[in-house]
Amino acid sequence: MGLSVEYVAKETATNLWRNRLMALAAILTVAVSLSLVGTALLLRQAVNRQIGAVASNVNLQIFVNPGAPKSQLAYIRQEIKATPQIESCNYLNSTESYNQAKQLLKGQKTVLSVLSPGTVPTDFRCQLHNPNQAATVGALFSAGIPGVYKVTWPGQSIHVMEQVTSVLQLILLIVAIALLVSSLVLILNAIRMAIFSRRREVSVMKLVGATNWFIRIPFMAEGLVQGFLGSLVAVGIVMLSNWGLSYLSDRVQALSQATVPSGDLLVTEILVVLVGLIVGVVGSSVAVRKFLDV
Amino acid sequence: MIRFDDVTKVYKGGSPALKNITLEIQKGEFVFLVGSSGSGKTTFLKLILREEKPDQGAIYVAGRDIGVLSAWKVPHLRRNLGCVFQDFRLLPNKTVAENVAFALEVIGRPRQVITTQVAQVLDLVGLGQKASRMPDELSGGEQQRVAIARAFVNRPLVLLADEPTGNLDPATSQGIMSLLDRINRTGTTVLMATHDVGIVDSMRRRVIELDRGTLVRDQARGVYGLTDEMHSSTSGLPAVPLSPAFAELLDKDNRRSGKADLDKQKLPLSDDVPVSDAGKGNSRVSSVRARRGSRY
Repeated sequence: MGLSVEYVAKETATNLWRNRLMALAAILTVAVSLSLVGTALLLRQAVNRQIGAVASNVNLQIFVNPGAPKSQLAYIRQEIKATPQIESCNYLNSTESYNQAKQLLKGQKTVLSVLSPGTVPTDFRCQLHNPNQAATVGALFSAGIPGVYKVTWPGQSIHVMEQVTSVLQLILLIVAIALLVSSLVLILNAIRMAIFSRRREVSVMKLVGATNWFIRIPFMAEGLVQGFLGSLVAVGIVMLSNWGLSYLSDRVQALSQATVPSGDLLVTEILVVLVGLIVGVVGSSVAVRKFLDV
Repeated sequence: MIRFDDVTKVYKGGSPALKNITLEIQKGEFVFLVGSSGSGKTTFLKLILREEKPDQGAIYVAGRDIGVLSAWKVPHLRRNLGCVFQDFRLLPNKTVAENVAFALEVIGRPRQVITTQVAQVLDLVGLGQKASRMPDELSGGEQQRVAIARAFVNRPLVLLADEPTGNLDPATSQGIMSLLDRINRTGTTVLMATHDVGIVDSMRRRVIELDRGTLVRDQARGVYGLTDEMHSSTSGLPAVPLSPAFAELLDKDNRRSGKADLDKQKLPLSDDVPVSDAGKGNSRVSSVRARRGSRY
């Protein structure tokens, strides 16, 4: 057919330059929506890693009222021994608990000023034979043993964490999909304008017997380039948000494990570029089919 | 080269644009397609280009039934058909040479072939010196030469021309016609739709006349209408039946030139004819006479 790469590149470049404002709008919308998609994916991976780390650490935590009498403490110890599911427990006394709390709440001066070794609950950190039994064991201890302030197991916090992040992810995804659709429409419109501004060329091409693909491909390449450029911007933004995430996880203990390994980051970025290319191709194909009457 | 076999074309919701047309045009012929506006000339050309499909009947171009041609083969049909229009249809942002080269570029000809062929065809149309001009720097006649160069650069079997002289003055039109005649002599079949009485009458080629979609005349070495047969003795050609629409036009001409008394058998005169219209027809005919006088 003789459709040379040089010809397509030249045509695409001139088309993009002629409709640069429309192209810019399309590229930016692709960029914004793909950044959201990429960030949502990153967040999900980070949260999963954090949850995994938390779950493997401590199975059950029994908090004891601050200043609980020795007798109550002894009773709790006895109960722990009597529970077959518990493998071992480690008691943190008031000073140790206070130190831990200080570390956890580092930077929050007002909260720290209220705390003292006497007001921080002490706790037992227990390993279970089977971490899945945490809920049953936890229920056993939270039901009416004197001196027990609260029993937590990762299942609870993980559950909360998962719920929060899944809601967050859902919102991000909905916004991202809405933006993806609008960027698709914008690319479609950009290509439509390009077709319109070149209708003379197109009519001459049809007249002298240029094949349909010869006429179509430069326009489709234009959409592809718009999607690609948008996704490149998005790749940059996703890198930035990954950097922000690792900044956070360095400073916030609760997110200490919430980092994404570079391999997974690469996969995410590749996905972002692929989605960008797909949006570009789909948008321009629809435009070419609808408005390029060949 | 081109064969119409009982072709009928009806546009949506209208009366037929072409009705039961059967005719054949041989290779190397020069054919005028005449008829008033709306008589189906443009539809006739569009059918050959497969811009439209016939509702009935078959059209053969170079022996192939183009009605059953699959869509992806249509471009290859069009590479064998050159096309020239009244409004030139040049690309304003390309030079003369680029305009002509574009026709070869988009069908994937190699660069070297393009360069030599463009130079050749520009010499043929007499614009070798103006290859790097922009279309808007050229006169109308020169622009039409560029359009012809573009249509002919790929050496098509058939050259279709839809009123190629419609925007040009008579002298320039003559130049275009002699160019088309030269192209015809290379063996290219030329089919030209026109309103230009002077050109048709002076060239004396085959004339196909359409009226409201029907073929009313197919005459070898014909003239535009019967005007000259009736009012001048220069032609020895036999008279052929007149189409009602053309008779009406003729009446207007006659009335304005005071010759209405010559044909009593014609349709009654209509008084609501716009003067500008009638005037145009009249001046065209008289300018033709003047030129014919000098020619014969």
